[in-house]
Amino acid sequence: MSPILQIKNITKRYGGLTAVNDVSFDVNKGEILSVIGPNGAGKSTLFKLISSFVPATSGEVIFNGERISSLAPHKVARMGVVRTFQETTIFRSMTVRENIIVSHHLRSKASLLGFFLGTKQAKEDEDAFAASADDIVDFLGLQAIRNELASNLPQGHLRALGMAIGLATDPKVILLDEPFAGMNHDETMKMVALVRRLRDERGVTVLLVEHDMPAVMKISDRIVCINFGQKIAEGTPQEIRENEQVIEAYLGSEDAAIGM
Amino acid sequence: MEQIIANGLYLGAQYALIALGLTLIFSLMNVLNFAHGQMYVFGGFVTYTVVVQLGLPFIVGLFASAIVLAIMGAAIEKFLFAPVIRRSKRDESTMLLAAGIAFFLDAVILLAFGEKQRGVPKIVNGVFNWDMRIIMPYDRILIGVLAILLIVVFIGFMNYSRTGRAMRALAQDKMAAQLMGVNVARYSMIGFALGAMLAGLVGGLLVTITGVNLGMGGPTSVKAFLMIMIGGAGVISGAIAGGFILGMMESVGLTVLSAYGDITYLVIFATLMVFLAVRPQGLMGKPWG
Amino acid sequence: MNAKKLLGFAAFLLAVFVLVPLIIKATGRSDFYYTLTSVALLSVGAAGVWLTFYIGRINIGQGAYALVGGYVSTILVTQAGVSFWLTLPLAGLFCALISVLIGLPILRLRGVYFAMVTLVLTEVARLTALALPITNGAKGITSIPLPGEFSLFGITIIPAFGSLANPRFGFYIMAVVLMIITYLVLWRIVNSRLGHLCRSLQQNEELSASIGVNTAYLRVLAYAISSFFGGIAGAMFASIAQSIYPSSFVVADSVNFMLYCFLGGLGYVFGPMLGTLLLYFGWDLLSIAREYQLLIYSGIMILLMLVLPNGVLSLLDKKEGRA
Repeated sequence: MSPILQIKNITKRYGGLTAVNDVSFDVNKGEILSVIGPNGAGKSTLFKLISSFVPATSGEVIFNGERISSLAPHKVARMGVVRTFQETTIFRSMTVRENIIVSHHLRSKASLLGFFLGTKQAKEDEDAFAASADDIVDFLGLQAIRNELASNLPQGHLRALGMAIGLATDPKVILLDEPFAGMNHDETMKMVALVRRLRDERGVTVLLVEHDMPAVMKISDRIVCINFGQKIAEGTPQEIRENEQVIEAYLGSEDAAIGM
Repeated sequence: MEQIIANGLYLGAQYALIALGLTLIFSLMNVLNFAHGQMYVFGGFVTYTVVVQLGLPFIVGLFASAIVLAIMGAAIEKFLFAPVIRRSKRDESTMLLAAGIAFFLDAVILLAFGEKQRGVPKIVNGVFNWDMRIIMPYDRILIGVLAILLIVVFIGFMNYSRTGRAMRALAQDKMAAQLMGVNVARYSMIGFALGAMLAGLVGGLLVTITGVNLGMGGPTSVKAFLMIMIGGAGVISGAIAGGFILGMMESVGLTVLSAYGDITYLVIFATLMVFLAVRPQGLMGKPWG
Repeated sequence: MNAKKLLGFAAFLLAVFVLVPLIIKATGRSDFYYTLTSVALLSVGAAGVWLTFYIGRINIGQGAYALVGGYVSTILVTQAGVSFWLTLPLAGLFCALISVLIGLPILRLRGVYFAMVTLVLTEVARLTALALPITNGAKGITSIPLPGEFSLFGITIIPAFGSLANPRFGFYIMAVVLMIITYLVLWRIVNSRLGHLCRSLQQNEELSASIGVNTAYLRVLAYAISSFFGGIAGAMFASIAQSIYPSSFVVADSVNFMLYCFLGGLGYVFGPMLGTLLLYFGWDLLSIAREYQLLIYSGIMILLMLVLPNGVLSLLDKKEGRA
């Protein structure tokens, strides 16, 4: 398998504090890779670095052979590396369907002026977006709430909507920030199945940051563990489960044992 | 040189006091009080009425200004801002309300006190003269000292009193303060009253020197906005710094560039714009307030 | 739905081009032409401010662009002898250009910070007009000639205003046409993808960037369009008043533009138009109250804010909610 995304010696310093220190790993095409680590280990910063929302102090991120670490966030998204947010960020005063439609922006062929003038291409685009949005609504099982205002949705649906927004951009790689946070067992299992389908049916490579160990163990092809900003282990769930450094990192900071 | 610094300090102390009230209101309620300048003018007129029309001592006038404005501030918060904030979809709606109140106060001032410039007779006579290096009338010195005293009292109040600390907690993190049991509605009202009171006190102080008139409200508000932006909106130390910096800039500018008139303000404003574009959080504020 | 909209538009055209002149003729209040012309032009400026609200920025700097637009048109007309009709778009473009240069650094700011910088901008524009030799300082530029004839391929489209029997009526028609075009453009923007993207920007800039929207570009674009509107409004104003001074547009005007938008409702394209009409025309009507004019005016404003904190047009929402 060839790497679709390569993280090479990436480092981020804030003043005197090193949030991410010389982290390298590859993400293979079509795999589900999880980044784990205790609270404050630098996982979220790592995500922001990959999606180029914060500039790296040193090191680089390579996507399909191209360097993306110094590009503007929207350009990174344009290339196919798309991030969803930890704080279930959505467009609050739009309906579910509007949220998804507007997120198709990257796929538009017509220019903004074209849309303003209502050219043929623009109309085609709009029709295509609407069709694709309905498709995504079906895929995620959001039919019942499609015309609901996003600000009225409960937590679980918001998470799904966040994913729908990500999907609408037609990503090659999707970065999911804590997709299982705050979910009960049933909800988590549903989400795990959904993320699998994302990969299996839509061919999206998934990179996720997560706390929920059982879910991570269940879903991941491979896992990267970081602590104090540094990578301490990388491997299959089985290898990670048995890695002493990982166990130590977790025992040292949290009571939660690994792979319960 | 000494003269410029002395003028700057005197001006800065007044400005800082105005900015403190504005920044307090902003930090508690995220409201940019467009009516702050009008409150200042109102305070001036109250002192004028008490001292000149009723013939009472200056200190009584000053207290009257403080009390009238504090009551006015509390009422405005309770009956106008609180309901609008509760029901509005966007924070900015309070701007319209604040602007409406500014117009309303202008109208009240016009009807109650007229359009004329009003002043209070000198409270102390004589001029301080240090070797021709600093020349300053004693009343200015007195007012400047009083203003600095008030600033010190205010800082002490915010740091050591229960009310002050509750307000600071509220300004820092509304959610957390609420969880800790701070009564948000109550302290928002107290904060607004306190902010208005400070504006009224400055009005009362300055009416003895420059006098007040109807047209001063708007420009004073704009200057006060500038001060809190220089220092960092919502930060007490920032408001003080902003007040003194603007005071100094005006003092220096008016001396150095006096031949060019309005260029002084053009230079000040243009510099400010560049400064704010580069550093929006001001000198001491947090990014994005 | 569409037929309903067309009908509404037709009714609006009928009202402004037929009904208003008839009423004015019947009442003999031809001074209303001047008031309504001002309303139309101010609402063009307010449309721009509304668009900046639509991307989530509080713009208290429209007065600056109105002033710049007024001066650009005036200087071109008086010193270079350019036809007014050509200077109108030029003034708008000039403002759009400046706004790009100013907008690039300041549009990164949000909330109160952006608002304050734009407020300062109005003051900077006024002081610059005072200082520059070409603007003739505080004396301003007066006796600007009325707009001349505008013809295309030898066909007169707009007659010279000097030759009109009733230039007031001419200005009214011109201003209203300008307003209608502006709001059609605004309506089209809001209802096309451009508007949807602006809304996404207003609601969450980070997410907007992560779905691939070039947020910096979009912000500058919206601000440039906004400033274009401000510029042409200012140019028309200067031409109608036949004079322009540094104090023609001051901080209070910038604040008013913002208030028009608020009062009409920030969620509605036609909010700023209604807001301008209510506030400006209302102010004019209240002049019969003499010294109580400001008191009543501001009292009503506060009252409206208490009853309808989301703007007058939010009345429409409530109806929908009940149905």
